[in-house]
Amino acid sequence: MTESLFISVQLALITTLILLVVSLPLAYVLAFQSFFGRTVLEVFVALPLVLPPTVLGYYVLLLIAPDSLVGSAWSSLFDSSLAFSFSGMVVASVLYSLPFAVQPMQQAFRSIPTSWLELGKVQGMNMGQTLRHIILPASKGGVLVAAALSFAHTMGEFGVVLMVGGSIPGETKVASIALFEFVEMQQQTEAAQLALILMGVSFLMLIVVYSVNRKPLVGGS
Amino acid sequence: MNQINIQIKLGALDLQVQASFANEVIIISGENGAGKTTLLRCMAGLQACSGSILVNDKVWLDSAAGFALPTNQRGLGFVWAEEVLLPWLVVAQNIQLGVAQEDKAWLMQVCEQLEIAHLVKRKPAMLSTGEAQRVSLARALYRKPSMLLLDEPFSAQAPDIRARLRKVLKNMQQTLAIPLLMISHDAEDAKALAQQHWRMREGKLIISINRHSHAGGNPHFENIGE
Repeated sequence: MTESLFISVQLALITTLILLVVSLPLAYVLAFQSFFGRTVLEVFVALPLVLPPTVLGYYVLLLIAPDSLVGSAWSSLFDSSLAFSFSGMVVASVLYSLPFAVQPMQQAFRSIPTSWLELGKVQGMNMGQTLRHIILPASKGGVLVAAALSFAHTMGEFGVVLMVGGSIPGETKVASIALFEFVEMQQQTEAAQLALILMGVSFLMLIVVYSVNRKPLVGGS
Repeated sequence: MNQINIQIKLGALDLQVQASFANEVIIISGENGAGKTTLLRCMAGLQACSGSILVNDKVWLDSAAGFALPTNQRGLGFVWAEEVLLPWLVVAQNIQLGVAQEDKAWLMQVCEQLEIAHLVKRKPAMLSTGEAQRVSLARALYRKPSMLLLDEPFSAQAPDIRARLRKVLKNMQQTLAIPLLMISHDAEDAKALAQQHWRMREGKLIISINRHSHAGGNPHFENIGE
């Protein structure tokens, strides 16, 4: 049980870190720039919200299969298979939780007063400086919500990690799958314990989200 | 010499401004919706417009050639009519925003002149409207701008401090030798500061030149037509 929990937490942490880095430029262009294909990009980001996890899992498997472009590149680089591995699950989780990271950030960016962005220009700041000194500090709350939701959502994955990871004990068997197997094998005590822990984690993450949302999303100490 | 010749249509506003000025003080007045703020925003590059802007022989805008110098390269001192301070930074940090090299002595000098030296460690939420306005002015001056664009910078100031601020502003403008364009409805501002007084009506300028401002005599404005 602890092994599966450890894998879940590890997966959620790595996924969240990657998502914060990946989502920042995505949220930035979606919030501030209009370009051809913007709606299509927005839809792609939002797709995991409505797709059956098995559909996403299926496409990720195609993407990382040993004979695919990504899969073969990975095996020649690291001498291991991406499918049915922890790394493969990370790829799937990043895609699966993408909207949970991008959307709060995008919303936070959009709610920044226009005059603050103009202030950056007037004060001679370039795009990177404006991002660092104005946009990110003004969106601290949104970034925190993005991290909390990404973490919680990754902890709660089931279908995608089952398809991509396969439930290999000690490697890809995460807590949600372990719970399913406990119930299948009628191990009620373990099932109850694990369910309670997963419930607690989700509860804590949502406490973070809601207390951030109550306060103004802007700066402060 | 500085020259502007800009046009823009924005909703009901049809702004057409043509003017030239030295490194002097220009007071802009006119009714709401006459285009005063839009004019300042065009000068700053915050509002896209067509025409040309030439500042100290440097091209800022030449829409015919498809060129507009980005706002962040214009070296502006800009003050908005409303309060624009970053709430998570203390006053001193707000003033130094975007300026890489910290100059403590200069910072204190600017703050003392604007009577905010005792506030440098406070967050904007702890400031009165008038104090916040002076912090904005300090931020515009601290970076030693190439042009000052001020939208009613004294609107929240009491009459006695206004007189002192006019002197400070005049001194700074002369020391830096830069053009200063300032929107104001206070006749005292025009009397004390203006070398040119632009009255705006429905997007057009009616320029008056203060012929005697340098001689120290009584100000006398003379219309030179639309």
